Amino acid sequence: MLILPSQLVVDYTKCTGCRICELACTAKKEGRFQPSLARLKIVRYDDLGIDLPNVCGPCETAPCVDICPVYAIRRDPISKMTFLDNDRCILCKSCVGACVNGVILLDTKRMRIIKCDHCGGDPECAKACPTGAISYSHVSVAPSLDRHDKISSYLREIERTAQESGGAE
Amino acid sequence: MSLGGYNGKILRVNLSDGSFEVDPLPKSWVKDYIGGDGFGVKLLFEEVPGGTDPLSADNKLIIGTGPITGTMWPMSGRTVFISKAPLTGIWGESHVGGFLGPELKYAGYDMLVVEGKAEHPVYIRIEDTHLELCEASHLWGSTTDQTTINIKKAHHDPDIQVAAIGPAGERLVRFASVIVNHARAAGRTGMGSVLGSKNVKAIAIRGHGGVDVYDHEGFFELAKKAHRRVRENPQAREMGKWGTWILTAVKQEIGELPTYNHRTGVFPGFEKLTGDYIRPRFTISDRACFGCSLGCKKVNYVKTGPFAGTLEEGPEYEGLMAFGSSLGIDDYATTLKANQICNRYGMDIISAGATIGFAIEAFENGVITEKDTGGLKLEWGNREQAIHLLEMIAARQEFGNLLAEGSKRAAESIGKGAGKYAMHVKGLEVSGQDGRTHRSIGLGHATAARGADHLRSLVVVDQLGYEDVAAKRWGADKLPEIIDPYTEKYKATAVVESENAYCIRDTLIVCWYSVSWPPIFWMEDFAEMLPFATGVKHFGSVKNLTEIAERVVTMKRLFNKREGITRRDDNLPDRFTKEPMPEGPGKGQTVDLDPMLDDYYRLRGWDLKTGLPTEETIKRLSLEWTKAHS
Ligand code: SF4
Ligand code: SF4
Repeated sequence: MLILPSQLVVDYTKCTGCRICELACTAKKEGRFQPSLARLKIVRYDDLGIDLPNVCGPCETAPCVDICPVYAIRRDPISKMTFLDNDRCILCKSCVGACVNGVILLDTKRMRIIKCDHCGGDPECAKACPTGAISYSHVSVAPSLDRHDKISSYLREIERTAQESGGAE
Repeated sequence: MSLGGYNGKILRVNLSDGSFEVDPLPKSWVKDYIGGDGFGVKLLFEEVPGGTDPLSADNKLIIGTGPITGTMWPMSGRTVFISKAPLTGIWGESHVGGFLGPELKYAGYDMLVVEGKAEHPVYIRIEDTHLELCEASHLWGSTTDQTTINIKKAHHDPDIQVAAIGPAGERLVRFASVIVNHARAAGRTGMGSVLGSKNVKAIAIRGHGGVDVYDHEGFFELAKKAHRRVRENPQAREMGKWGTWILTAVKQEIGELPTYNHRTGVFPGFEKLTGDYIRPRFTISDRACFGCSLGCKKVNYVKTGPFAGTLEEGPEYEGLMAFGSSLGIDDYATTLKANQICNRYGMDIISAGATIGFAIEAFENGVITEKDTGGLKLEWGNREQAIHLLEMIAARQEFGNLLAEGSKRAAESIGKGAGKYAMHVKGLEVSGQDGRTHRSIGLGHATAARGADHLRSLVVVDQLGYEDVAAKRWGADKLPEIIDPYTEKYKATAVVESENAYCIRDTLIVCWYSVSWPPIFWMEDFAEMLPFATGVKHFGSVKNLTEIAERVVTMKRLFNKREGITRRDDNLPDRFTKEPMPEGPGKGQTVDLDPMLDDYYRLRGWDLKTGLPTEETIKRLSLEWTKAHS
């Protein structure tokens, strides 16, 4: 079993969907405010009143690492963070499709893959989040399994209310 | 010098011939008007002549943003809809939270101007430089939430931001709203019916670009500091927990909770409309608008009773008042249901509730009879009836057709002295405050450009007794009168200075909360931030910002002057000036408007007799050009 040191940990019940994290992320990484290039994504369901932060990790087995044909995405042996080596990247977009959190992007303007690097251990998003919905802390595998359970129960709830209200996003 | 914050582009869509045009944003506008409301009043003044029918093809609708829209400045996700107002026939504007404005900025534009009239229903689609009018006949008649979902699905993109009108807007209900993000309403003055009259069902925006400020590092640091100030402010934290529901108990305590169509300010059933009661029983999640670290929005679910199964955001305090205390209904679920109907059908909850309240009181006094209502016996406190009436208004069905015209027009067509029960100023229904227990709002309601408005100049500092803030803003020599809610003295000073600060707030554009209440950001904070955002040094002084605010406020006045507004119209319903508050801490109080008006005009540089800007003021604010458009 892989022990993951500090990771971005999400508590969706605290998220208000303000997207300050997306703004802070691009302010730091892109030098401008451009949520479409944020390394994380808030999915907002306005009709259900639910907001789901999608961040990079925690992944015990990382599909992006596994799928990359040229080993451009690897895992740092110490921090266990998955990172992208831009020099090797051939822009095949495999990782974009493989990421379970949907947070690896292709920037079509500058033709590059955009991927979270946890800001080298000091993530801007977690610092900017006003509610504590994103924090940077130590996780074992248990909380991420927990997270899976939570999200499944959540999806069930979405389905239920969708049926009740006769249509949902 | 390159400007930060702005895209420098105005997007225009002409519905009559289906064309789009991108105009450069005139550089000269920036220094004189900043953005938002400022750009809006400049453009509308020049392009919509006096006497234009608000529901004709000649009227225009503007969606405005400001230089910091789309950045990380706290609460800067707000958007303004501006047009000549169908409800009042004068200046109309309605600000809304949510995510629309930032998306317009990311698409590359500072403003969108909707002109002309489409032959058949359309929706306007903007995706960066891809601009099109899409067929919307299949959406005509659908609710705002159905419309939103439908458009997102049609373009396979959940991140499209949609502003939609509902059936009420299509049917030209005079107080129809525009809804964004399912439950955020550009509610007041009837912007929804402007779109309806133009056959526009929705505006769908998606942008992949970004906003560049002038000094990114400096601005980013300042924005983070500003967020910390919000996060650490105790009142902002309370607000994050209770939202605007926090007001109900406060209002009841000071005897200013509008009850029975503003007859009194004390509501025996108020407890069931307080945050303490609602949150543990109904609230399922907390939400925020774009870039907001306060998060005042609450999503709620009703488990039992006639409205069981209602899942909806809100309502705000104003909705609790409009469909709660003001109609004598001590039931939160009814207000949530009313809010849901208002959101789905696209109506302003304040005007809707007030118009129903007008009808009930007129019925009670025999001015409206069962013949008018089609057999309905209108009464206070009847939940199902209030909801039924609201649905009839949205459908313009039977008696609802009359109420869909708003309280002023409805009273005029009934005659028989019904106007006595219509609580409006200049045609806009009075919001949830009362000048009798809070003098400055009496002046604010009377003078605000769009009618009985609580958002352009409502002074909170006086009523809630922020002595230190009052001393800092207006001078310790004006204490204690300036914070005494029962005296007219100095109230114009407080109103004018607040109106100026809020005016800058509305050019940026940022939210009411954190500026107007709790008092976190004020002029000096904007003066500190704006040069980082824009690079315009001129914005770095409170004096200059004040002059810009005076210019914008005076321009709105000049806009209304063209429609015949004078001092005579800066009035309040007799209820506030002649009927003493019957009970509560403010028992016996009435508003003496004239001395406050005199002071207000004097401070504004407007003529005391006519209430109109003097030649000297017009010259001082460099507004001579307006004469060419009179
Ligand atoms: S850790 Fe850094 S790069 Fe990753 S999402 Fe957060 S701010 Fe963006
Ligand atoms: S900053 Fe925090 S609360 Fe706001 S959207 Fe991001 S995760 Fe949610």
